[in-house]
Amino acid sequence: MVGPSIRIKPAGESSKASTVDGGETSHRLIGFLLSQPQSTMNRLYQKPSSCLSIFRLLQPLERQVVMNLLWLETPIPGATMAAWVTREGKRPYQEALSTLQSLHILPQQSTRPGPPQSVKHNLNPTFKASLRQAITGGGTSGSFGILAENDDKHPAPDIEALDAFALERWETILYYMVSSGTGQFPAKPSQGVLYLLQRSGLMATVHGATLQITSAGFQFLLHPPHEQLWELLLQYLQMAEERQMDLVEVLSFLLMLSTTELGKVGIHTIQFIAQVTQALPHAQSYSTENLSATQKAMLEDLRDYGLIRQRTATSRKFSPTRLATTLTSSSPPLPTSAGTGDGSHVQGFIVLETNYRLYAYTDNPLQIAVLNLFVTLKYRFPNLVVGQITRDSVKKALANGITADQIISYLITHAHPQMRKNKPLLPVTVQDQIRLWELERNRVKSQEGYLYTAFASHADYEWVLDYAKKLGVVLWENPSKRCFFGSVEGHMNIRGYIERRSAGNA
Amino acid sequence: MDKPSHLSVIVDLSPTQWAFCAQSTAPPGLPLQTFLSQLLAFLNAHIACKDENTLAVFGAFPGQSVMLYSSTGEAMTSTTEATDPNTYRPFKTLDSTVMSSIAERFNSYDVTEEEEPIGLVGCLTKALCYINRTISVVSASAQGTEGATRSIDPRILVLSVSPDQSSTYIPIMNSIFSAQKLKVTIDVCKVFGADNVFLQQAAHLTGGAYVQIERTDALLQYMMMSFLPPPAIRQLISVPTQDRVDFRAACFCHKRIVEIGFVCSVCLSIFCQPVPVCSTCRTKFPIKTLQRLNASRPLATTPSTPGTPRPLTQKNGAALPRPG
Repeated sequence: MVGPSIRIKPAGESSKASTVDGGETSHRLIGFLLSQPQSTMNRLYQKPSSCLSIFRLLQPLERQVVMNLLWLETPIPGATMAAWVTREGKRPYQEALSTLQSLHILPQQSTRPGPPQSVKHNLNPTFKASLRQAITGGGTSGSFGILAENDDKHPAPDIEALDAFALERWETILYYMVSSGTGQFPAKPSQGVLYLLQRSGLMATVHGATLQITSAGFQFLLHPPHEQLWELLLQYLQMAEERQMDLVEVLSFLLMLSTTELGKVGIHTIQFIAQVTQALPHAQSYSTENLSATQKAMLEDLRDYGLIRQRTATSRKFSPTRLATTLTSSSPPLPTSAGTGDGSHVQGFIVLETNYRLYAYTDNPLQIAVLNLFVTLKYRFPNLVVGQITRDSVKKALANGITADQIISYLITHAHPQMRKNKPLLPVTVQDQIRLWELERNRVKSQEGYLYTAFASHADYEWVLDYAKKLGVVLWENPSKRCFFGSVEGHMNIRGYIERRSAGNA
Repeated sequence: MDKPSHLSVIVDLSPTQWAFCAQSTAPPGLPLQTFLSQLLAFLNAHIACKDENTLAVFGAFPGQSVMLYSSTGEAMTSTTEATDPNTYRPFKTLDSTVMSSIAERFNSYDVTEEEEPIGLVGCLTKALCYINRTISVVSASAQGTEGATRSIDPRILVLSVSPDQSSTYIPIMNSIFSAQKLKVTIDVCKVFGADNVFLQQAAHLTGGAYVQIERTDALLQYMMMSFLPPPAIRQLISVPTQDRVDFRAACFCHKRIVEIGFVCSVCLSIFCQPVPVCSTCRTKFPIKTLQRLNASRPLATTPSTPGTPRPLTQKNGAALPRPG
């Protein structure tokens, strides 16, 4: 009498609210670090550059707590610290303390119950020593990267060349993603990148060999570059563990890169450092000497992502690009993303009118391809693409797993300076309509569950239904047909109840 | 909440006062060298907090005000940068630039000359001008991105060792008003010496912190806890402000700090004694009022005695120092 019947895939998984707002949410890397064991973190904290970079990724309040404790030699009573916190700050302050404890920057408090006054705060000694060293300078860690010798034969590339290189690499990856499955065959990124994309679930193989972009991949395309970069790097970090690479070395190399500088020329090895060199308007090269084997292996991967540039694969020098140097800041990681390169492109290129017509001043294939995800493109001119946002085009995007909010936030971030004069920035009609189209799609809500039918008598039906109602698992009922639909969670209980009843009746 | 902030630091570098400070024993003295090294650590910490944080350092020298460093690179002297893999490069650049420009100033300083009044007001004005310029540049460029969210949180920190100069009352007040208008917070750290009336008012009126250093060996800790938090954080972690602010003003006629002043009813100029004609707006006052005011004056504040309970005025304070 019990039969599992309807099985519908849980809906709404792909529409998980992506946190687009900057600032308030903690950085992606911090989330990753939170899950690392204390020993890993302690090893990471041995490098001043790692400490500095992690410190920068913390929330403002957490940074202030660290700074308050940094120069104290003895632990400070918790009550003294808490006295500085205002009434509104109590909750954020407690949260900041617990985040710092999870990061092992503050040692874990013992769980024994006691008055909160007895708690004393002190920084993790390794972290304290390293961050102090980072701020005051000195030491012999060499963790901020050793500059490469200025070489007349192969001068370091200038910043423009580096930017172009980073942009080219990055856009190759994105363009490959966006045009997969459209029948075009753009330049393929390297095997390592493809593997990474596949591992991160941004692309998946369908029909055997060809890689296809997934709905996660579509969402990824609309993220700002900084988030995209970290998404890939976090995946890389997770992969590193499987590839038997030392996570600490991988992380500290990435964090070291984030403290390196664009735009200077330096020198080669320690003994040259005392000498004074002449600064040229070229980009910075760093020496690969005293990198560990793991880190040397990473160079190749990072070159594929466009984070660093090497003249040849065996070169003993590398130059970090803007993608690398802005890892821990919020300044834009990529230079202008358009071919023509005049100032207006930095700002944005999209003009959207109330009649759903969209003008995009760009000739960049990647941007056009991304727009093509949710716009029906009509005309194309040398520097302009014209299209229309239609119900069909938006529904196609929604079917790909892109949400209305992502479309709107993409349009806002890339709006043309002319659009900035409007308040609100995007025409309200268009914004609302895109949201309505999304709601249209979500009119039908699906839930997994079991349908209970074929009850012998109405009394039986009522008994079971009452029991299910008490559990609160009834989703739908129809007394005239003597059937009801219950959610998955209640199934075991209902089934047991029915079995007990039929056993009792027999 | 997590937006970049700008900090302009004004360092009082009066040689005489620093000599006093180093020799002082009642509170243990603080040599300039130690002070500077702690200051640099503080500046580095500000830069360390966020990559986009900007910094400008101004030095107040006797009769001069000089920009020692700015992160936009205006005051960069073409220093021969020694690179060091053990130090984050922006820190290195900052430290060496500040130190070398201070050294340069001190070397060119003529010991035999009589010391001019300190150029603190000049620094304050320059800092405000600098902030004004940064804000307008940022807001112009921020139109492209998220508009107002990109704005910076500007603030000024004054590290003072010199006593008040009553002659600078008017320019300081004007600076305070412009700071209020620009929404700039002025923090004051009195490293050495007695309370500074005007700076106290500056901190109070702009909502900044005022700290009188009691233990000079803990200077860095004072600075970290009181002056490092940007205004946004100060809503969550409070910084020390003052309970009692000395609101005394300086009169416009003799530049004396007065407790009881006489204010022109037209232009609000302050005088230490009733005057028949306002020197600022040329308003003539009725003779009867003058007589009444003169009669009601307490005897203690006759012009022959100093108008302040504490001798804060300087002998040579009559001439207004010219900014710059």
